[in-house]
Amino acid sequence: MRSITIAAKNAFRISVEAENISPDKLAPLTIEQIGSLFVWQGNRQKKLSDLFVVEGDDGPATVEEMTIRLVGDFSQVKRIGEGMTAGVVEVQGSVGMHAGNNMLGGLLSISGSADDWLAREMRGGKVVVMGNAGNYLGAGYRGEKCGMRGGEIEVRGSAGAYLGEHLCGGSIRILGDAGDFAGAVNQGGTIFIGGSTYLPGAEMSKGTITVKREAKVLPSFLKTEIVQIDGLAFQKYAGDNVDNGKGELLVGVGSS
Amino acid sequence: MIVKGGIVYDPANGLYGEEMDLFIDQGRMVEQAKGEEIDARGLLVMPGGVDAHSHIAGKKVNTGRIMRPDDARQGTEPRTAVCRPSTGYTVPNCYAMGYRYARMGYTTAFEAATPILEARHTHEELEEIPIIDKGALTLFGSNWQVMECVRDKDLSKLAAYVAWGLRAARGYGVKIVNPGGGEAWGFGANVKGINDPVPNFDVTPAEIIMGLAQANEMLNLPHSIHLHFNNVGKPGNYTTALETLDLLKDIKPSRMRQIVHVAHMQFSAYGGTSWRDFESKAPVIADYFNCHNHATMDMGQLLFGSATTMTADAPLEYGNARLTHNKWSNHDIELEESSGVVPMVYFRKMLVNAVQWAVGLELALLVKDPWKVLMTTDHPNGSPFVNYPEVVTLLMSKSKRDAEMATLHEQVPKRTVLGGIERELDWTDIAIMTRAAPARILGLEDKGHLGPGADGDVSIYNLRPEEVDTSQDHALVKKALANAKYTIKGGVLVSKEGRILAAPPGRTFWVDAAVPQADTDRLMIDLEEKFAKYYSIQIANYAVQDAYLPHAKVIRAGLPVPLQEVA
Ligand SMILES: [Zn+2]
Repeated sequence: MRSITIAAKNAFRISVEAENISPDKLAPLTIEQIGSLFVWQGNRQKKLSDLFVVEGDDGPATVEEMTIRLVGDFSQVKRIGEGMTAGVVEVQGSVGMHAGNNMLGGLLSISGSADDWLAREMRGGKVVVMGNAGNYLGAGYRGEKCGMRGGEIEVRGSAGAYLGEHLCGGSIRILGDAGDFAGAVNQGGTIFIGGSTYLPGAEMSKGTITVKREAKVLPSFLKTEIVQIDGLAFQKYAGDNVDNGKGELLVGVGSS
Repeated sequence: MIVKGGIVYDPANGLYGEEMDLFIDQGRMVEQAKGEEIDARGLLVMPGGVDAHSHIAGKKVNTGRIMRPDDARQGTEPRTAVCRPSTGYTVPNCYAMGYRYARMGYTTAFEAATPILEARHTHEELEEIPIIDKGALTLFGSNWQVMECVRDKDLSKLAAYVAWGLRAARGYGVKIVNPGGGEAWGFGANVKGINDPVPNFDVTPAEIIMGLAQANEMLNLPHSIHLHFNNVGKPGNYTTALETLDLLKDIKPSRMRQIVHVAHMQFSAYGGTSWRDFESKAPVIADYFNCHNHATMDMGQLLFGSATTMTADAPLEYGNARLTHNKWSNHDIELEESSGVVPMVYFRKMLVNAVQWAVGLELALLVKDPWKVLMTTDHPNGSPFVNYPEVVTLLMSKSKRDAEMATLHEQVPKRTVLGGIERELDWTDIAIMTRAAPARILGLEDKGHLGPGADGDVSIYNLRPEEVDTSQDHALVKKALANAKYTIKGGVLVSKEGRILAAPPGRTFWVDAAVPQADTDRLMIDLEEKFAKYYSIQIANYAVQDAYLPHAKVIRAGLPVPLQEVA
């Protein structure tokens, strides 16, 4: 195994775009080479070592062997782990927007919270957030036909609006609440929400959305039967019928 | 500036490949000048390219961008010391439009469809397109005021409205798209032919077209009406095209030009009764153009690959969306129009697409007079404009066409006549179809030629017309046309071998047509009522202010109006 630590030199007031911080990009490089990769801060191109301290095992290594630990304030650092195919990125704290964009494999774990667009258009691998996630978790970028297509996302806290919008596959599990329009235009993925949400599954054509507590359901969903899951009762709905959708929406009954 | 020793094709001035020096001073072509020397010895030299029909600015272009993040990611180029960043392929950002036209040696492009209500947006984008000169045609074909004037047979009020609308939109000419259909679409319907009445207005498309053509000539506008026919994109629509053209043949032009310019003729030259027996009727259409002199066309060539269809023909886009199950934008423009946007991919092995590809080329090759046919792709409906070099080389090389034909659906030779056409265009034809003719058709006197007083827009290509065999060396020709060796715009060297050297702002042309005050007074009574009752904005906030056109070039037209006495 090869393990390196990247520490933020300070809390950035101007956000940083650091798509180079991924196991695929760093595994073949030495510590020194990593330091001379480019990142953008605002409209300025900088060396990674200008903004971060890089320490740990020297390379190269395979992508699978690579673990990257991020310490300090990464809440204004965007695109961490973009397109990663294997290995581990472990964020000790919170992370900025677009982390895990187009991720294909490996593990992205965040001990704090994640900003908007986490795991946007993800295709494989696993993302775990101990805190909360922002809006558009696992969604497709605006105008994109598909959001997440595969893999697994787990959020221990709550998620923002448009959770899993345009979902085409994979599974998302939120232990807390989700914001408005969770699972909009779901085309085949699975969403579980441990808390409550508002207007889930708008325009969904396929897939399943389960809401354990409460949900305001759109009038275009058809109430079907009551089903039992793990000893709990759920009201099942079919929809979204504005688009002849064949999706499944389950909302908890009686649990409080 | 002196352009030394080029082989100059300037058909408007009777130059068909003559070795000569060109002189530019203070942005204009002159007889003699000093200064920087550009070495063009033995190279192909033409006036800057002019695109008379392209969709480069405004709300529907921007909707295309919003709908297509996939397209934005193609063609990204970071900023340089001179250039701002570029994005996009079929729907590039504003900056990329200017750079990419300039790289190909084009110096002018006209946006083909802007509703008055959305003209401010169009001008905001046009202003951000660097280098090239621009203009925008204004949509009138499904406009309530137009249809009421036509119904009441009040031609002078119609002319007053056209003049007022052009001024409000800072527009250049009269665009008509599927006349009446934009209004019918508000009720989920369409007009089926030129004699099918528009719901609630008691007028037919034929009457709208005739009324606007007459008003256009009454106002002595530099450009003729610019017409997107009814039934565009449908099998069997060539009869609608012929009926419409025949309607207009006896109108007297107010200037030395056509009475009607037909937009993207390719999309209106189809036979058959359905997609199953769909076939080319380009020979019939070409024959009509060969026998008549009141109409011109642009090709609207379709190329295989990615496109974004966008048009004020909203029912057509509804059909596209149903056909492709692709993303669809549908838009209502109050009392003026409707519109739609649908991304598209055209396939070689799809018979309909392959026939469409052939139809565009057939039209350009079968119409004998190159002054009647402009080379366009109806960017980005048939293909993005960056693919013009592909179209030009197809027109210049029979062997390239044959090689392409061999890769298409096997039914193409049965449904088209392209395989039997031997004609190969030469540099004079190309200089006419991409420079001289679009300028003349638009009525731009200082564009499309290199005579004294013309704009100092010159393109120089890394091709030796006296040596290169355009029929065989089409790959070489295509490469040279994609990146001009030098593009000069208004006397400034803006592009060299694909590298942008300078990005000065371009001008925006618009037409200010005078009409008698009495007609405007009558018109304003109607308009004030419409704004009070129906429009979502106040009349005072409607017209585009001059602040939106910091580089305006106003062209005067209109009726001879008596000078007002100074009180
Ligand atoms: Zn067009």
